[in-house]
Amino acid sequence: MSNQSVRGSRSSVRDRTDDRESASAVRLADVRHEYGSTGGRFRSGGDRTVTALRGVSIDVPRGTIVGLEGPSGSGKSTILHAVAGLLVPTAGRVEVAGTDLTALSDAERTRLRRRHIGIVFQRFYLLPSLSARANVALPLVQAGVPRADRRDRAESLLEAVGLGDRATHLPGELSGGERQRVAIARALSTDPDVIVADEPTGELDTATGRTVLELLTDVGRDRAVIVASHDEGALSVADRIVSLRDGRVDDVR
Amino acid sequence: MSDEGDDVSPDGSRRRTRWRGLVGLTATRWWQRATRTTGGRIASTIATVALTVAFLLVVTGVALALADGGTASDDDATVRITAEDGSTLSAVDGVEGLRLGASNDRARELRSAPGVDHASPVLVETVRLESDEGEPRPVRVVGVVPDGESRTVAGLPTAALEAGDPHYANGSYDGPRAGGIVLSPTAAERLEATEGDEVAVSMPGQDQANTTASAPTVTVAAVANDGADGDAPVALVHLSELQSLSGADDGQLADRVLVWGEPAAAESAASDAYPDASVTVAGQTDPAALFDDGLAFAASAVALLVGLTICASFVATTAGMAVDEDRRTLAVLESVGVPVGGRLAVVAVSTGLTTLVGALAGVALGAAGIAGVNAVAGATVAPGAVAQFHPLFVPYGIAVALLAGLVAVPYPLAVAARTSVLAEVGR
Repeated sequence: MSNQSVRGSRSSVRDRTDDRESASAVRLADVRHEYGSTGGRFRSGGDRTVTALRGVSIDVPRGTIVGLEGPSGSGKSTILHAVAGLLVPTAGRVEVAGTDLTALSDAERTRLRRRHIGIVFQRFYLLPSLSARANVALPLVQAGVPRADRRDRAESLLEAVGLGDRATHLPGELSGGERQRVAIARALSTDPDVIVADEPTGELDTATGRTVLELLTDVGRDRAVIVASHDEGALSVADRIVSLRDGRVDDVR
Repeated sequence: MSDEGDDVSPDGSRRRTRWRGLVGLTATRWWQRATRTTGGRIASTIATVALTVAFLLVVTGVALALADGGTASDDDATVRITAEDGSTLSAVDGVEGLRLGASNDRARELRSAPGVDHASPVLVETVRLESDEGEPRPVRVVGVVPDGESRTVAGLPTAALEAGDPHYANGSYDGPRAGGIVLSPTAAERLEATEGDEVAVSMPGQDQANTTASAPTVTVAAVANDGADGDAPVALVHLSELQSLSGADDGQLADRVLVWGEPAAAESAASDAYPDASVTVAGQTDPAALFDDGLAFAASAVALLVGLTICASFVATTAGMAVDEDRRTLAVLESVGVPVGGRLAVVAVSTGLTTLVGALAGVALGAAGIAGVNAVAGATVAPGAVAQFHPLFVPYGIAVALLAGLVAVPYPLAVAARTSVLAEVGR
């Protein structure tokens, strides 16, 4: 599928190895979250609150792929959003690369997300007016990487996910699988410690989904990867699967 | 990709690179949207900004022509030379502005310059005229040097006057008087004079008794069918005869010198002849004249206000709608770590680009509109230009549009600031 390993693209970007050696890239400790409560960023309306997480604790070591499974409303996406720093849980700690996200300001969380976290959405969320290369380079703009370096980095990542010949194509000119591979390349562009993927194969056919999963497996060899999915096939790449029910960890296998 | 603390670099180079990247990203995205993905919406916004700016410029152009167009200055010359700081003419006797000296000699030099067809000093005086059958009436009399060609000065044709200026006689002012006068319809009506009648000419300050005895008389050579301004009593005479009457022969004074010919050549020759004077090519009135004319100023001010309001309202609405439809992009930017300031910058730059392109198109459209208005007016109601374009209209139109964009941008920014990535990915 890809001409070169995505892992191989990593060392060329950052030589730092010290913080890779810590045991857990992601640690959730007794995390609780209620939508509509004062601890959340977004209220669901009125005085009604919805409890999404009830004391979830998960460790994700580096080099591990953890799958989250469970029915809709079980808390999978809430965990991903908490790890990505997109929401602050009502209670508990969320540590990413040794930093407690719940103690950070919005700006600090945004900065930490830029440096340590890559997100892969179910619906890709590429910018339709930018080429595949520009989409991949997007996180590097805010990182202050010079234009030439951005292009080199984006092209090498597109090459790594097998889309070297699609660099100048707009998302609308790519298939679903190709778009998701561009999204994965974008998530990798800042060489993050953690990748969170929410239903990464949800919009893809089985064969294309398998290709994307192979890519995520490759990515996960030296990163912490958290994949949330309903799809057994998608979860089959995980080293560990955490089952969620009603906001609680139901089973770990 | 980056180490801790990468936001702080000693020379701020990373920050500059980041902002350059954000602006470049926004410009690229804007161009792609305009040409490939969502061109219709951007085109409609640009078109509205352009139409608003064009409307503003056309109205301002008409106001400028209005400010410039007193009857005494309504001519078809290519270039006008006026004294630098006092080019305005006053209808109040004795309150003229600065005048040009040695105008007859220099006009003669100008006439021999390459590319110049004709040059004539113009002197404007309020003079008392009296026909045999009427009462003495004050009339604005304009002195010119006709050349027999069909030209218009002070809204009146010069062709009816004998070509040349024989009374001037190389500066001695003792040559024979041609003794002709061309009256505007209003002047003829007030004087109760018709073609062929004799009219006594005197300066208003002179004693009435002496006037009737010694005043020179002129013969009505023609009564114009229509003047540029039908209400003003205006008359044309030979320059030197008016200079002699008013005392302006001492120094060969004139209010302005008009030059006909190729614009570039005429302008160059005029600048050579009067290096310290104000040289204006036709259709390039000093915009400062707008402030001296109440009606013109009011018209242009209202146009500015209306233009700003319409432009700002539309830009705010369309940019707000665009941001609303584009929440996903803002959510993506947030998810990849672009802080709120960067996301708002993307919205602001997009809005600014649309406004700027609309402004440039509006300036071009405004210039075309002014030409169109003149063409229509020329074919129907007015003999000359009723609107003028000035080079300052270019920065004016752009500045007004950008100001409108500035007024409008808080709304799309507010919409953008409310966008949350969770709300978007949850859809």
